Amino acid sequence: MLIYPMIINVGHGHLLSYCITAKIGRFRADTHGDNLMTDKSTKLSRRTVLTTTGAAAVTGLAGCTGGDEGSGGSNGNGSGGANELELLHAWSSGDGNAAIAALIEGFQEEHPDVEFAEEPVDGAARSNLDQVVLNKLQANDPPSTFQLWPGKNLAKFDGAYEDIEDDVWTDDLKENYLAGPQEQAQYNGSYVSVPLNIHRINNLFYNTAVLEEAGVDPASLSSASDVVSACETIAAETDAVPFAHQTSGTWSTVQLWETILLGQAGIDGYEAFINGNGDAGQVQTALESVVELSEYYPGDSSSITFTEANTMVMDGDAAFIHQGDWAAGAYSNADGFNYGEDWGQVTYPGTSGSYLLNMDSFPFMANNPSPEATRQFLSYCGTAEGQVRFNAEKGSIPPRSDADVSALNQFQQDQFEDFNAADNQPPSVEHGLAVSPAVKTNISDAFSSFLENYDAAATADALIGASN
Amino acid sequence: MRNPLTVLKRRLSEHREVRTDGGTTSAGSILDRDSVRSAPFWLPPFLLIGLFIYGAIAWNIVLSLTDFQGLGSPDYSALDFENYVVAFFGGTPSWSELTVSPIWNSAWNTVVLMVSFSVVCLALGLVLAILVDQEIRFENTFRTIYLLPMSLSFVVTAKFWLYMYNVETGLVNLFLGAVGVGPVEIVQNPDLKLAAVAFALIWQFSGYAMIVYLAGLRAIPTSHFEAARVDGASTLRMYWRVIIPQLRTATVSALVVLTVFSLKAFDFLFSMYGGYQPGPSADILATRMVREAYSNGNWAYGSAIAVILFIMALAIVTPYIYSQYKRGEL
Repeated sequence: MLIYPMIINVGHGHLLSYCITAKIGRFRADTHGDNLMTDKSTKLSRRTVLTTTGAAAVTGLAGCTGGDEGSGGSNGNGSGGANELELLHAWSSGDGNAAIAALIEGFQEEHPDVEFAEEPVDGAARSNLDQVVLNKLQANDPPSTFQLWPGKNLAKFDGAYEDIEDDVWTDDLKENYLAGPQEQAQYNGSYVSVPLNIHRINNLFYNTAVLEEAGVDPASLSSASDVVSACETIAAETDAVPFAHQTSGTWSTVQLWETILLGQAGIDGYEAFINGNGDAGQVQTALESVVELSEYYPGDSSSITFTEANTMVMDGDAAFIHQGDWAAGAYSNADGFNYGEDWGQVTYPGTSGSYLLNMDSFPFMANNPSPEATRQFLSYCGTAEGQVRFNAEKGSIPPRSDADVSALNQFQQDQFEDFNAADNQPPSVEHGLAVSPAVKTNISDAFSSFLENYDAAATADALIGASN
Repeated sequence: MRNPLTVLKRRLSEHREVRTDGGTTSAGSILDRDSVRSAPFWLPPFLLIGLFIYGAIAWNIVLSLTDFQGLGSPDYSALDFENYVVAFFGGTPSWSELTVSPIWNSAWNTVVLMVSFSVVCLALGLVLAILVDQEIRFENTFRTIYLLPMSLSFVVTAKFWLYMYNVETGLVNLFLGAVGVGPVEIVQNPDLKLAAVAFALIWQFSGYAMIVYLAGLRAIPTSHFEAARVDGASTLRMYWRVIIPQLRTATVSALVVLTVFSLKAFDFLFSMYGGYQPGPSADILATRMVREAYSNGNWAYGSAIAVILFIMALAIVTPYIYSQYKRGEL
């Protein structure tokens, strides 16, 4: 009697238990009363019910499979006028939201006739957005375009893009995008997306006051091992944590490792790895450097998030943090924490000459609901004006090397200068550009194990094996 | 000419069974049967459940036999058990260029989590229920306090325990420090990870076990307690020999719900480790399944893992349902 409702209501367990709480008084007296359920007629109808259920299951199955084939014919030319542009993104709050709003506003000044069916996909998680897009593509209802990491990550939606080399990737774009970002915009050799912004991964941010107290000059560091010795000095001279880092999730450590690998193995060694021909020795050496650095992490690195680690630097509780330049967004928003005075940034020691890329882009989807408007929009995303509008809010830099960045803040201007002066712009592993999604999962798997045991040799084997 | 429907109706009505006492059963036409006449009430929900639950399960099983990967539609023309072979033995499946590791590690973790969590939860719930059952003051307050964690979502509990397990400021380590055990790394410690997850889940759900047991205890007539007392049983002996055996139904029903909860610990791990990567010593089938399906787009392989998880859940629920059926309680 008591059990029956509980089984049914597994999903609403807590609600149900409150019902039970309320009923306890009554159960004390009511010891029997199960006879009703065992009535013969109930049993009989239960058989009927089982048969019906089975039949319904078969019908359901047939319905599902049938529907799949049927939807192929509709061609997904859904609602809205031909000019309504369906733009999906996960920038639903904060700087990202302001950035996309600025971009759309600029576009609509030039093309007032294009309507947007703009849909920020909530949850702010990119994986959630990818899922929404996958579902739409499965239903043959592609969006016009959406926020997507380019590069090898494009493999996730293999076959769903259309080449835009003739319409969007004009000579103007090809001349003004540097080789690195331009390569990332392509999938299997054809231009399918337009990169909109660039975040840099190989940064080392520092709190000036803490470094001064320790007597460390960040400009003098020139290799990953210099960072380790600087941390040693900071640990000896100050109370601050030398190297703020979070280890509850894998992503920060993958970023750190790829940066160190780039520094130690050079661009050739790095590219060999991302192409699946990495040298196990180089990979292991980079991992060993991470292990050395881990001595200087906060004691509770496994319980904190990136935001908390970054706040330690802002509060003067930590000296260094290695992060993408979104870390600087938090510094810019903080009062009394100024670039050049209170905090600074150097290219991660050992990686000078490289600008390790993390980008967002807008791809052109085949079977496009608004082909003309989408081409216009992507062309606008390829202009310096659109990119400056977007990046001024986002805190990243424009991919076009001819952009006028005077509207951006000083830190972004310095980053942009580094970008234009960089010898190479390799793609990031953690941020999906360098390896296909399945290989990236294997790499994250390897690092989830590394965070448990810091076994450089075993992790190196797993990383080398990640791409085969 | 007679209406064919009338003929059919008459044929159906003609079907009579001779009872042992020589009379016929009173059953009229099939259309007059209770089950048919009540169809407007039970049929719609059954069709909906049939389609969206059992239909989805069946579809998932079929999907797990395909090679569906990436975009496009699954090809149902070539069904095979390759995904299950890969799941159990590893290897390079035909739909991938990469080697896929078998699921043993996450399956083992799932079983360990399931068993340790359910058993401890039940034991703790029973002790709490017996204590609360002693006609204590503020009984309702205690009951609510013990049950309250269950009203929290896994996300909240995970973030809360991430904070509790903090090496430097977490309450767990402060407590350990007070009894002279040095700060212990918990969250990323391969030896403690799974135990830490189980502990947090026990904290959340032992209140539920308590409520189920409490209801069971209240259903036992007072005379049983009194009779045991009169016969001179000690408190311990009374509970062990007289009361706890009567809680069999409560135990089994709580066990089923708890094990199903432990199979669904995905949200907890996702929040605690900020993604699909809790690490090999806390990886369960649910996280592995989501990684395969949503990170890699290996839909068919993800479905195969889902089916294995489903069979594990079924293996727990079926004996229970069957025993209830046998006892005539279903």
